[in-house]
Amino acid sequence: MGESRSIGSVAQFQSRLAGVLGEVVVGQKEAIDHVIVALLCRGHVLLTGGAATGKGLLVLALAKATQMEFKRIQFTPDLMPSDITGSEVLEESAGGGERIKRFVPGPIFTNLLMADEINRTPPKTQSALLEGMQERQVTAGGETRPLPSPFWVMATKTSFETDGTYPLPEAQQDRFMLNVEMRRLSEEDELRIVTSEPAAELAKITPIIQKEELESYQRTVRDVTVPAPMQQYIVNLASATRPGTPDATEAINRYVAWGAGVRATQYLALGAKAKAAMDGRDVVSAEDVRFVSLPVMRHRIGLNFRAESENMSAANVVGALLEAIRA
Amino acid sequence: MTTTIGSIGKEHLARLAQAKQDVLREIRKAIIGQDDIVLDVLNSFFAGGHCLITGVPGLAKTLLISSLGKALHLSFKRIQFTPDLMPSDIIGHDMLAMENGRRELRFVKGPIFSNIVLADEINRTPPKTQAALLEAMQEHQVTAGGETYHLEEPFFVLATQNPIEQEGTYPLPLAQQDRFMFSLVIGYPTKQEEVQILDATTSNRQADIRPAMTQEDLLTAQEVVRHIPVASPIARYAVRLAAASRPDDKNAPDFVREYVTLGASLRGAQYLVLAARARAAMDGRLAVSIDDVRGAAAGVLRHRIIVNFKADAARINSDEIVKRLLKSVAAPGSGL
Repeated sequence: MGESRSIGSVAQFQSRLAGVLGEVVVGQKEAIDHVIVALLCRGHVLLTGGAATGKGLLVLALAKATQMEFKRIQFTPDLMPSDITGSEVLEESAGGGERIKRFVPGPIFTNLLMADEINRTPPKTQSALLEGMQERQVTAGGETRPLPSPFWVMATKTSFETDGTYPLPEAQQDRFMLNVEMRRLSEEDELRIVTSEPAAELAKITPIIQKEELESYQRTVRDVTVPAPMQQYIVNLASATRPGTPDATEAINRYVAWGAGVRATQYLALGAKAKAAMDGRDVVSAEDVRFVSLPVMRHRIGLNFRAESENMSAANVVGALLEAIRA
Repeated sequence: MTTTIGSIGKEHLARLAQAKQDVLREIRKAIIGQDDIVLDVLNSFFAGGHCLITGVPGLAKTLLISSLGKALHLSFKRIQFTPDLMPSDIIGHDMLAMENGRRELRFVKGPIFSNIVLADEINRTPPKTQAALLEAMQEHQVTAGGETYHLEEPFFVLATQNPIEQEGTYPLPLAQQDRFMFSLVIGYPTKQEEVQILDATTSNRQADIRPAMTQEDLLTAQEVVRHIPVASPIARYAVRLAAASRPDDKNAPDFVREYVTLGASLRGAQYLVLAARARAAMDGRLAVSIDDVRGAAAGVLRHRIIVNFKADAARINSDEIVKRLLKSVAAPGSGL
């Protein structure tokens, strides 16, 4: 296995990468930091937020800055699993005459995959992607084939529940480490975008890291310490989201149909480790945990009908939770 | 593939009890807590039965089962069930291939050709696809393109059901649920366990699970379990327990008549005896006790007892019915 690096080098990497991405994607400082957290944790990201908030640009800029091979799949209602994983074809051998079978890898065989509007495709095709995400391998033509390393998925979904979408079941959403939401842009940000065209900055990006180096940063992150009180805080946060259990808060029992599972606990800890390293610390603080709480829990908390009728969002619920549960 | 062991001796039982300890030791490298579930799944493996597992997402069901696969040296496949999954996605299909210059049909095996199949969210798939899986469970073979193919032995199906999101799901018909030996409920870990999970899974340390048994060992263990004798009072207790859960049975207690629509079939009683045998064998005992039957009751009877609306309103579920049955049905030797 590779070696890890100093905490200081992770912090340096973060500030350079955030700087480069910030030039291209305007007004999304927090979302950029959340995406870097996921990158340092090898966690897949579900990117949500309104149209033209820079989701596509963010992914493209990441690919360029980290030298990862990039592919994009537009998910459509008629997309088949083999359109993602690849398929076997019969072809003439070089000398002619003989026919041989050859596997043509699908677009999933890449480092950074942008999966656009995954909820527009039928479930079997969704699960081909999600299986690849979880197991870092795919099965095609009866054979199991490993995906390249790193393999990182940034997926988007259409935010409006329009006709002809296939909502992702919660078990499948759970495979994304973070659900990062791009914020609504301010007037100043919009002005900056229409006058200076930050998209043009994309062409100027030069790589700041080799993709092979990523692994050493990822190892450093996992070596960050989570002190016992912080472990307890993380577990208290996650267990408080589970309605009907003794730990649930009043707001949770009122608005939540199901809470965050154990994977939330794991990702809260891992995400907090990344945040600490990004700030040059080797011990996790409560602030680090709070920083990753919303993106870790947003898609893991199922709201009930009452929440919908009272206009409560997952962000409101997590906000109330952070107020109620203290480190 | 079956081994004949003639009569079972002490060494068979000792080896089996040791194997159980070894498997548990390996599993605990990767799985924290969930001892009851691990033991019940192991019990079903030793008994040769399939399990239905109910639990919310994110409780590491896949990790638990793949770890068991590693510890038992068995091949493992996970199938995500979806509304558009077809029987051939599970079983496999014929494909045209070139062999020695001729075109031939070749069977491409589906994911069911594995020792352990984790059928994730089985109730999200339509009945025809469910039926394909259940048929394979029952017969340990599948048919495709007119040919019959035998599955690998041992063969276990662990099917999960998601208790939340019921929208767009296809509940398993009762007759099909009946084919599962156990219905297990996996809950949240305790806070203390959750802290341990956090600590163990977010660092650079990696759990290294080593095989503690071979496929042959497991097949032999299944043979041993089937040879464990069951005294007739114990078997009678199992039969009475299952019968008492049927509202039309003359000995059914009042709470069963009031709250139960459908009770456990004879298969329930059979599995009670089988599970009790496996429990005794895993402990290295030759004698099946009443406690072995009682210990298996919840897992075996839970999905075979269907409660009515009145029970729902009174918040009485089938687990509660099993608890009351264990209290009200007299054990042999106590006034029989």
